[in-house]
Amino acid sequence: MWNILKTFFILEKSNKKNIFACIIVAVFVFGLALFVKTEDFGNEVKEKSGEYQSLASALGRFQNVDATENGNGSDLYKNLALQHQLVVRQRMAVKMNLPDLYLDTAIEVTTLRANSFDMEGFDMVANYLPSKRENQLDRMFYQYMKETGLSLESDPLSFFPFLIYLFGMLGSVWFIFMSVYSCGIMTEEFQHTSIIKGYPITFDKYVIAKCMSSMLLVSVFILELFVCSLPLIYLYGLGDSSYPIAVFNGDFAIYPIYKYLGISILYMVFISIFTILLSVILNVLLKNMYLTLFTQLFLYVLPLLFPSMMNVIPFNPFNYLNFASILNGQTLDLANPVVLNGTYGLISIGVSITLMIVAVKLFLTTGKLKKV
Amino acid sequence: MRAYFKMEFFQFMSNKKNIAIYVILLFLSCYYALKIAPEYDPIEKVDVLEIEARYLTREEFLDNVVIREGMHYLTAFAVSIFPEWNEYDKARLDAIEKNNLEEYAEATSKWYTYSDKFTFESEVLYYNPGYYTYGNSYAVMDGHYAYLSSASRYEDYTEGKSDLSVNVFEERTALQTLQRLLHSYLPLILLVSCILFTVDIVLKDRQNPTLLQGLPLSDWRKLIVKGGVSLLGSILAIIPLLVGLLIIGSQYGFGHFNLPVPNYSFSEDLFSTITMGEYLIQNLLFIVVWFFFIISLLLLVSVMLKNEFANLLVGCVFLFAEFIYFSRGIGIEWNAQWYPTSYVQVGQIISGYRNYLYVSDALSLRSGLVVMGLCTCVFLFLIFLMSNHRKFKLL
Repeated sequence: MWNILKTFFILEKSNKKNIFACIIVAVFVFGLALFVKTEDFGNEVKEKSGEYQSLASALGRFQNVDATENGNGSDLYKNLALQHQLVVRQRMAVKMNLPDLYLDTAIEVTTLRANSFDMEGFDMVANYLPSKRENQLDRMFYQYMKETGLSLESDPLSFFPFLIYLFGMLGSVWFIFMSVYSCGIMTEEFQHTSIIKGYPITFDKYVIAKCMSSMLLVSVFILELFVCSLPLIYLYGLGDSSYPIAVFNGDFAIYPIYKYLGISILYMVFISIFTILLSVILNVLLKNMYLTLFTQLFLYVLPLLFPSMMNVIPFNPFNYLNFASILNGQTLDLANPVVLNGTYGLISIGVSITLMIVAVKLFLTTGKLKKV
Repeated sequence: MRAYFKMEFFQFMSNKKNIAIYVILLFLSCYYALKIAPEYDPIEKVDVLEIEARYLTREEFLDNVVIREGMHYLTAFAVSIFPEWNEYDKARLDAIEKNNLEEYAEATSKWYTYSDKFTFESEVLYYNPGYYTYGNSYAVMDGHYAYLSSASRYEDYTEGKSDLSVNVFEERTALQTLQRLLHSYLPLILLVSCILFTVDIVLKDRQNPTLLQGLPLSDWRKLIVKGGVSLLGSILAIIPLLVGLLIIGSQYGFGHFNLPVPNYSFSEDLFSTITMGEYLIQNLLFIVVWFFFIISLLLLVSVMLKNEFANLLVGCVFLFAEFIYFSRGIGIEWNAQWYPTSYVQVGQIISGYRNYLYVSDALSLRSGLVVMGLCTCVFLFLIFLMSNHRKFKLL
């Protein structure tokens, strides 16, 4: 086994594809940093102004009436009018640099919003407000900040906050990247079947060794993500590695940044193994790297095109491949909300990996390899 | 050369990957036509209830308001602007009731112009609430663009160049759907398919290089033929997309080539219209130029790096690079028009929307053709030099 691994390393070292993959990972990280800079994320004044306008137009859907406690406006109208007021206060707090006031007001706004979701006529203004899930995440976050007395600091370009953003983006593209990277994993062998028939090793061992050498490269890519973000420490500072993030894991919870990163990396490793094995099997079945790629992407897109499928087959591992949206609880916003739990996702992908390894062991032999 | 072209084309068409791309495009266009198109809910629609609600509220206000010295200045403002505004709303309501679409178009056009005059840069008036969705900081700019472009569109409808219907007003007909798609992500889909078509056109021969060594053709000519084949293949990708167009057409009507497409000119902050036919032809021309650009780029990368994965990456980087540097209003600070990547949104370039987003007047069809054409020539020249080099090997 060790010998074959060594052979693969030598082969991979001379493979141009890996160099290009490294380049693209670096381009992705630097591009994202530039993107965060040009989009001016984390500019609270700008965000609050947008929120102010949204609320103003939500209020525009009502007739102007007395919005005080005993006024004749509907509950929702009073609620929105109060939110409107509080958002202005928040904006002021940002401008005057009063973090405590900001935090208190933020908690008030999110609590008000949480009450508004069940009020009559909410559907009419749903577009102008964050969804229930987003609001719940915000609320958890602000309450946690208040309880622990941490200071609100968010330079989205300092090292750790940027990593969160980076991994959030990776959630949706990691599977795509992995399937592009691994779609041709066995096609070389098909072109020269005699090579693999000459190895003094069974086919399943050959496949496992191949997967292991690919996984080693994947770990290089993951490492590269961190290395490429290092310049940000010099430019914008380190940030706080235990700064809280609100996530959804079947229930709303608070994770520190390092835990979030840990789970993301675990997901990425699982997804990589999953994709590589899937590529191997599809390569053997379809004998064409592009068909493999298209099939994988199709399977990935299918739950997005037909979201009701997620309710029917909750254990489909393809539901869980976008780990950032799982951790955000994004599926709760769908027309038919689905509760996708991050832990179940890992189990589901893990079970699929085991099944695929068994399938490789049982069904795939060198006899299957015929020239394309 | 002709025989070689035929052979390449035959190989291209029997390539499993290319067939799969055509099938996927067919699936996507059917999915769009059957699932997404019916759910299209435009912000600027023909909504009698909305007009009526606004009209009645204002009419009631005008009937009851008492004009006297020292009243609030906003009341005075409302009294001065609502009568004319209401006149237009009344005309719209009457026209709909009589089912006179031309009159409706005329009143609507005036209504949009008049509304925009007072809403833009106003602190108290708002555009259609549809623009102020959560998180949109540019709602006023979006509303301004939409109102003025609707005004010019409706003005053109009154000239009677084509049949009118509510579907035409709401841009639901097949040709208008195509126009909306060209304005959003259709160019990207076509260009991605072009990349996928071209990615292996040179390198597929590496499997059996000896077969082709005997051909009495220089490498340069072979590359040109390969480029021509993938250009033809990319243009043929339009056919599966037409199926979706036919489905939409049978549901909402096909529309007419004389329908207006608003065209924004930055220097005057004004809209004019061009006909749908002109718009589509310009788009087709620009997309074909893009095909030339991508194919020559990928041929160059193929002969330089000789790796399919690299082809895919370089192609995608060129397509998606704009996302990295684009932000609204960045055209003031630097010259985005010199980068070919700024022209990916073909439909938006031609309608001038891209200029509106960049706040610049330099991104136009003509500058696009010049930049893309120059880049294509440079790529082709490099390929020519490389392929005529003594030590050059195609595979």
